[in-house]
Amino acid sequence: MQISGLITNYQEAAAMILFCIGFSNLLLQKNLIKKIIGLNIMDTAVYLFLALKGYIEGLKAPIVVNGVQSVNAYINPIPSGLVLTGIVVSVSVTALMLSLTIRLYHRYHTLDLDEISTRLEKEGL
Amino acid sequence: MTFVQNFPFICIIMTLFGGPLSSILGRKKAKVLNTAIITAVGLMNLAVLSFVIGTGESYVYSMGHFPAPWGNEIRIGVLEALMAVFFSVIMLLSILGGVKEREEQIEESKQNLYYIMVNLLLSSLIALIYTNDIFTAYVFVEINTISACGLIMIRQNGRTIVAGTRYMIMSLLGSGMLLLGISFLYGLTGELLMSNIHEAVVKIVAEGRYHDPLIVSLGLMSIGLAIKSALFPFHAWLPDAYGYSTVSSSAILSSLVSKGYVFLLIKIFYRVIGFDIVARSHIIDVLFVFGVMGMIMGSVSAIRQSSISRMIAYSSVAQIGYIYMGLGLGSTVGLEATLYHVISHAATKSLLFIAASGLTEVSDDSTDFFDLTGAGYRNKLAGLAFTAGSLSMVGTPLFAGFISKLLFAEAGIGHTYKTLPTMIALAISTVLNTIYFMKTVIRLYTPERQKVEEKKHFTRIHWWNEPLKSATLVCFIALNLVLGLGSARILFLIRNGLRMFG
Amino acid sequence: MSVVILLAIFLPIIAGTVSLVQLAGKKNKDEEPSQEQLTKLHYNVARVLLITAALAIFAAWRSGSENGVTLFYLMKDIPLYFHIDDVGRLFVTFISIVWVLAGIYSFEYMKHEGKEQRFFGFYTIVFGVLIALCFAGNVVTLYLFYELMSLTTVPLVLHNGSRESIMAALKYLFYSMCGAYMGLFGIFFLYRYCDTLNFVAGGTLNTALASGNTKILLFAVFMMLVGFGVKAGMFPMHAWLPTAHPVAPSPASAVLSGIIVKCGVLSIIRVVYYMVGADFIRGTWVQTAWMTLTLITVFMGSLLAFKEKIFKKRLAYSTVSQASYILFGLAALQPQAMTGALLHSVFHAFIKSALFMTAGVFIYKCHRTRVEELPGVGREMPKTIWCYTFASLALIGIPPASGFISKWYLAEGALNAGIGAYGWIGPVVLLISALLTAGYLLPVTIKGFFPGDAAKESYENLEPSRLMLVPLAILAALTLLLGVFPNPLISFAGKIAASVM
Repeated sequence: MQISGLITNYQEAAAMILFCIGFSNLLLQKNLIKKIIGLNIMDTAVYLFLALKGYIEGLKAPIVVNGVQSVNAYINPIPSGLVLTGIVVSVSVTALMLSLTIRLYHRYHTLDLDEISTRLEKEGL
Repeated sequence: MTFVQNFPFICIIMTLFGGPLSSILGRKKAKVLNTAIITAVGLMNLAVLSFVIGTGESYVYSMGHFPAPWGNEIRIGVLEALMAVFFSVIMLLSILGGVKEREEQIEESKQNLYYIMVNLLLSSLIALIYTNDIFTAYVFVEINTISACGLIMIRQNGRTIVAGTRYMIMSLLGSGMLLLGISFLYGLTGELLMSNIHEAVVKIVAEGRYHDPLIVSLGLMSIGLAIKSALFPFHAWLPDAYGYSTVSSSAILSSLVSKGYVFLLIKIFYRVIGFDIVARSHIIDVLFVFGVMGMIMGSVSAIRQSSISRMIAYSSVAQIGYIYMGLGLGSTVGLEATLYHVISHAATKSLLFIAASGLTEVSDDSTDFFDLTGAGYRNKLAGLAFTAGSLSMVGTPLFAGFISKLLFAEAGIGHTYKTLPTMIALAISTVLNTIYFMKTVIRLYTPERQKVEEKKHFTRIHWWNEPLKSATLVCFIALNLVLGLGSARILFLIRNGLRMFG
Repeated sequence: MSVVILLAIFLPIIAGTVSLVQLAGKKNKDEEPSQEQLTKLHYNVARVLLITAALAIFAAWRSGSENGVTLFYLMKDIPLYFHIDDVGRLFVTFISIVWVLAGIYSFEYMKHEGKEQRFFGFYTIVFGVLIALCFAGNVVTLYLFYELMSLTTVPLVLHNGSRESIMAALKYLFYSMCGAYMGLFGIFFLYRYCDTLNFVAGGTLNTALASGNTKILLFAVFMMLVGFGVKAGMFPMHAWLPTAHPVAPSPASAVLSGIIVKCGVLSIIRVVYYMVGADFIRGTWVQTAWMTLTLITVFMGSLLAFKEKIFKKRLAYSTVSQASYILFGLAALQPQAMTGALLHSVFHAFIKSALFMTAGVFIYKCHRTRVEELPGVGREMPKTIWCYTFASLALIGIPPASGFISKWYLAEGALNAGIGAYGWIGPVVLLISALLTAGYLLPVTIKGFFPGDAAKESYENLEPSRLMLVPLAILAALTLLLGVFPNPLISFAGKIAASVM
């Protein structure tokens, strides 16, 4: 029962697996760049999940073309809107993280956060 | 619709636009603009508060006048307005109290950037307080995180950048979980407005369907916000972030940013899911256990610190523990205690940070306890303020902290099986609090020998040397006393607010 | 009438604060005040103290049914509430007497310590706080003023500003705070398990609620006993007394020992007899542990006093021991023992203040702090030493001096209390301790009048001025008079004890 549920909803399952991959990368990777990649995987997984919630088999993207106004012609537009908003947020967060990484790299010539911390401890700052 | 009802919306928009505006202004003008905006926000919210108290019920304000399921809403009640007033007051005082440090520690060219961050932070806090749309809440949570990170690392040294990075990583983990939880909830209910979600959730629960996904979603959101507000054991980023940033930032971060998330969590519990459903799940038990552990472990770590700002930072971990313990009790009384503690802790913690900065200033800019010996004589007002803050933290009557402790005890005793853990945690944590705060106060008033003072470039500061900081300290002490003595009124407001909150 | 109560509390607090603010506003703080200014200050202080004492005693003893006043609500059901009952009457009366007398004494004494305005500022504030403490009508009000008392007495201890005195004051503060928070822990429980937080003779514990939680409630009560016991110098938290007393100015030590310690006693009376109720802890481990602690303190205090060579420290240890006499009487949970405890509170306040005033005279007139320096002192200041001797006799408990009566009641109460072995261990310890008391107090008199080998050819007259001598003489006379005519006091204390058990 459980497994069959997973198979029929394989897209959601994939999104969850991707989320876990991203989450563990963000949490466990030492390299800052890999952390940021993990962050992006995690966010994308959520967008995939959201997009799936709004997707209706065989219908078109919610952009009015050729004057078709019927609601039944399009998929649910709200999740798509949410995904767009989410992407904007995630881009800005990624940009901030990357800029932080660059600063740290300029100062310490390493991408390993723990190493930087130990170095700071040693300097006694 | 009266004009006052537009104020919350105007506040959010004004602070949002205040950010970009200060980027093109000079440093001085940006400062003036920022102060003016925060003051205006405080006054407007005060007007809103009195308006809502007058009408006795909350009202919904539709953004752009689109009706419910499509449009974006904010919802204003007594509790929200009260929080907004307090947040802007504390923000204003924290900003004013740290002017001198900011000007010394931040590069000249970056100083107006600071005000952008402060404006963004305020707008996101107020939006978090007022919003009735869960996805909007998520977006503002992220804005909050970004601006908070900016506040940490604007003082450019290795420590703050590392602290900022760590803060970002933990926050992003938290917001990832929050977002996933929101997506689950959206998948379950198909709604984004909080009140609509609540109706759908009630229906789902009544039908007995989707029990597990609902709990998972609730769990993801709670843990996500718990990480972001530095609940033990997710607090590792906190001491560095609070301990090394410039003093206004520390004060704002510890007293407001984490509290914004707590408020959102309360909103999710109370308005989105419904408090009875939450109370039946075991999520709150987890939060309770973490809260209790945080109360004790945070204090233990605080005792072991050798630097005053890190000690205060760890004490924040303990206080966040109190807040989650109150939430974890799962009763309305516990929630009232939590909300009161949010306010009282905000007032006390920012007081402590600013007083500590006044003390380190006269001790050759060292935060080490050893160098702080006798600092209470070198800067008398800061010493007095720190003592007042400590007394409030340990729970001396007259001050705000006493009332929170009494409320927590009342809430704990009302519970069936959590009474004993609550009481024991309260007792242990009170004793530990006393130990480290009294230890510090004693250190501050232990006279240092003359010779040492001269050798170490210690200076003396009188209250009239720094009128602005002195004024803020006095205001903070007064605020603490007002909270401690006028608690009946504030509790009345909280109770009223909770009634119209759900 | 409620105005009188509030006036008695807030007049000294406001007057003291005004004086301190005025001091803080002065530009040349360190400058010595002129003789004229000093006299003016003394008159003002005397006026405030006397008016306050009159108001307090009047408020306490006037007849009338309406004797409570609610100031404002701290929380929904927790007001700041003042209420006058018999215990409050008793305490406020003797506190007022001692406070005024010690105040007058310090006019002269403080001349050599300096910074009079600061001292008297805090001294008057503490007076108001103490009156409020006596009149407190519920446990939260009591706790509030208890904490305020700790905070406002600290400046009295650290008066001379030396490193040593500051460390002593901080130690005192730390002990008080720790104790107070242990008390606070208990208050949380009482909040839940008592019908009301107001003080009601016999206790307000809701037995139905408490029945399932006896263990934890007993523990909470014990925490409160230990916590408030800090102020009363109960073992194991007694160490602040011998540290704080020697460094504080003598009038401050006099009131610390005579009065502040009694406020710890008052808090314990309030908790045990007016909140929890004597029946709840009778026969439990709490009573046993409490009696054990007090008896240890009585014995240890006298022994340490006997060995101590610094005179004020010796008196401090003596306070440790004597305060636990009172606590033992309370712990016996028996009306007679409680009568004895209340009597001893009053007598000890007068006696110990007189003794510390004598110590103050030694310091003020001839800078002697150690016992070995005292031989021959009776020839130099015979009147002072006579006062000292009367007070000592009273403390030892030699009839007809007052201490005898209280100790008699304590011993008799212990024997009748039905507390097993403690019924006779208690009186035995009290007796041994009385012998030790004689051993550490009387040599000063004996050596003072009969210096033996240390005798000098001639002695100059070092008798202190009347400002110091008269308060001392009044206190010494009171210790004797109350011993000779004890009946009204005994019947009053007996009435209190009967009302709570």
